[in-house]
Order: sequence, then C-alpha cells, then structure tokens
Amino acid sequence: MTTEPARILVWDGAVRLVHWLMVALVPLLWWTAEQGYMDWHKRLGLTMFGLVLFRLLWGLFGSWTARFAPMMRRIGSLSSYLGKLRRREPGATFGHSPLAVLSVFALLIVLVAQVTTGLFSVDVDGLESGPLAIMVSFETGRQFAEVHEFNFNLLAALIVLHIVAIAIYRFVLKEKLVGAMVTGRRSRSDFSEAHLPDNRPRKYTMMIAALLSVACVIVISN
Amino acid sequence: MRRCKSKIIVPLLASLALLSACGQNTETDMDSQLAAVELPNGMTVKEQIEARQGHLKKIGKAFKSISDQLKADSPDLARIQAAAALVPKEAEGMADWFPEGTGSESGVKTDALPVIWKNKSDFNDKVLAMQEAAAGLDTVAQSGDVATIATAFQATGGKCKDCHDKYREDD
Ligand code: HEC
Ligand code: HEM
Repeated sequence: MTTEPARILVWDGAVRLVHWLMVALVPLLWWTAEQGYMDWHKRLGLTMFGLVLFRLLWGLFGSWTARFAPMMRRIGSLSSYLGKLRRREPGATFGHSPLAVLSVFALLIVLVAQVTTGLFSVDVDGLESGPLAIMVSFETGRQFAEVHEFNFNLLAALIVLHIVAIAIYRFVLKEKLVGAMVTGRRSRSDFSEAHLPDNRPRKYTMMIAALLSVACVIVISN
Repeated sequence: MRRCKSKIIVPLLASLALLSACGQNTETDMDSQLAAVELPNGMTVKEQIEARQGHLKKIGKAFKSISDQLKADSPDLARIQAAAALVPKEAEGMADWFPEGTGSESGVKTDALPVIWKNKSDFNDKVLAMQEAAAGLDTVAQSGDVATIATAFQATGGKCKDCHDKYREDD
C-alpha cells in the first residue's frame, strides 16, 4: 500500500456498462413504444429489467462506490455539502456526492416502477401485454399501463435534471464528471482524503449477480 | 449565493408543473346540455357513448383472455373459444354506435376523434373489416388448431389497431 497509482478506479466496469446501456435503452424504449414496435419494446424492456435488477444487487454486494449503504451514510453530510456548493467549491467526491446519492435513489426507484409496471401492462386492445399480465385482469393491466405511461414522464424529468446537474458541474463549478463514467478513473490527486475506501469489485460476486439477473429475466419471459 | 441551488430546483419545479399541466383535462364540461340530447335511436348521447365503451371494453377483455391463453404453455382451448365467440357478438351493429353528435363536443368523456364524422364511410369500412376478421377468428377457434388461431388473432388485432391509430385518441 505504499505506492498508490496516479489514477484510481472510481466507477467499476459493471457500474459503467449498466449506466451506458441504460442511457441507450431509455430512448429506444420510448421510441419503440411510440412507434408500436411492441415486440422490440418488450425485448428491450426485459433487458432493462435485468439491468435494473443487477444494479440493485450490485448496490448490495458491489464495489464501494456502487453500494447503497455507504451512499446512505453520505446523505448525513448533505447540508455541509450544499454549503460548499454555495461557496462554489464542492471539491471532488470519491463516489457519489450527497446530492448525487439522492439522484441515484430517485432514478432507481422510478426505474424499478417503470420496469415492474411494464411487466403487467396491457394495451387498450388486449392485444399487447407484458409477460406477467397473464396474472392480472384486463382492467388491472390497463391501470398498470396508465402508471407505466405517467411514470415515464417522471423518469424523463429526472433524466433531464441529471443532465442539467452535470452541465452545471461542468460549466459553473468546473468539475468534469463524464470522463470518469467512461474510463472509470480519476487522478488520485483530485481527492483530498488521505485514505480512500477499498473500491475493488469482486469478480465472483459480479458473476453471480449477473447470472442471477439473467436467470430472473429468463424465468419471467417464459 | 443561492444561485446554484435554485438552478437545480427551478428546472425540477418547472418540469413538475409541466407534468401536472399535461395531466389536466380542460375541455370536459359535464353539465353540458348536449350529453342529454336524445338520439334517433332513443338513447341519450351519454347513454350511447357509455354503451359503446361497454361493448368495446368487453371486446378488449375477450382479447386479453385469448392473448393470455396463446402465451400459456398449454392454452385452454375452451376459454379461447368462448372469448372468440364473444367478440363478433359484442361487435354486432358497431357501425351504429357512432351517430352524429357523440364525439367529445358533447362533453362526455370519449376517445372517439372528430375525424370519424369526416370520414364516416372509411370508418364504417374499418368496422366491417374488423367484424369479418373477428368472425374468421371465431370460425378458426372452433376448429381448435392453436397455430391457426394465433394467426387469425394477430390479423384481427391488426384491424383494431388500424382503426384506433386513426380514429381513437391516443392515451
Ligand atoms: C372502426 C374503428 C374501430 C375498430 C375496428 C375497433 N375499435 Fe376499439 N375503439 C374505437 C373508438 C373510436 C374507441 C373510443 C370509443 C369512445 O371512447 O367513445 C375505441 C375504444 C376501445 C376500447 C376502450 C373502451 C373504453 O372506453 O373502456 C377498447 C378496449 C377497444 N376499443 C378495443 C377494441 C378491440 C379489441 C378491437 C378489435 C377487435 C377494436 N377495439 C376495434 C374504434 C374502433
Ligand atoms: C425503463 C424501462 C421502460 C421504459 C422507459 C418504457 C417506456 C414506455 C413508454 C414511453 C410507453 C408508451 C406509453 C403510452 O404512451 O401509452 C410504454 C408502453 C408499454 N410498455 Fe414500456 N417501458 C419500459 C419497460 C417495459 C417493460 C419491462 C415491459 C414489459 C416487458 C414494458 C411493456 C410495455 C407495454 C405492454 C406497453 C403498452 C401499454 C399501453 O399501450 O398503454 N415496458 N413503455
């Protein structure tokens, strides 16, 4: 532990892959639904379901910056962080800042709602329906579809907020955040802390979480 | 000083406001006299609209139960047959469910678009196309071959969609 590398891992490969796949999938899901390509909507939707599930598991068992428990503890320093923001000197946070934690939780909650309601949704003709809609009546399935539709607006609003926040960090606070979500790494000297938590992802845990998610998707889709 | 915080909160509030504005339904005026107007067939406008929605809902339900069975590992043929028989019955006389005056201008909540009454003969063609497809589905269903049923089901569903895309308000 005497020689630390100049660039250190902030976001592990799983977090980055899931993040960018979600970025690609949300517009595609919107577009396929609007165009009525429901076969593709359901395929991609199930993929999204798998990603969300994996991310939840990774939030329990993943690397330090991916886990929910340390994120929750960060919320405690929200007001002091907001103070720093007001002075325009937030500094780099290793992992999610207290404000970003709120964004992560909000986005994940809305995503969970979006994929679960999709599974039970029935369209007005009773022709198209999610793979679990067989368990509910026509009316209930229609109600799921209504929530599915409304909740998408919430998701879109949160995404806009997310992008606006990143732009504010970039142009007002001069903090570049996107690079680290691509390469996973930042300069060690960006962080003022003398000791940083061990952020190594555990390979076998990752494989088990991924297998579990895929298995869940397969069970649901059959 | 407070600028940064408000930069985040303002767009959030703006998007929420926009959302709630989208959710408002501005044109419903339930007291409208038009809803109580009696049609040549003896029903009021409101009764006519509600009656057709009732039929359509039953058709939708029947469609879902066929779709559920077709998805199942071992489809329950009896349920498919019952549902397939129901559709043509419920859709009988559908061309008469949309008399002049039963659009949204009546103040009754309806997804029927005004263009129906501009293209009434095309609309009626679409009613007929669906009724024929539904009768075909019923015949095929009673024969009992799941693969042919699935094809006929998709074909009938296409007729519902043909009409909804053009004449029903997108919800
Ligand atoms: C010729 C046009 C046309 C065809 C064909 C058609 N529909 Fe519709 N459908 C409509 C219109 C118009 C409405 C809106 C009625 C209203 O709100 O007053 C509607 C509404 C509905 C509703 C919602 C009823 C409610 O208010 O709860 C369902 C369910 C439905 N259709 C199912 C079907 C199914 C299933 C088929 C095919 C088997 C089908 N429709 C074929 C025109 C059509
Ligand atoms: C983040 C993931 C998802 C997003 C962003 C999304 C988005 C959308 C949107 C925008 C619509 C159109 C709503 C409308 O205007 O009527 C829709 C409809 C629908 N979605 Fe999804 N969806 C997602 C996941 C899923 C999943 C996992 C399923 C199930 C496998 C699913 C099944 C459906 C169905 C059946 C409809 C049709 C409902 C209707 O016609 O009202 N979706 N979705």
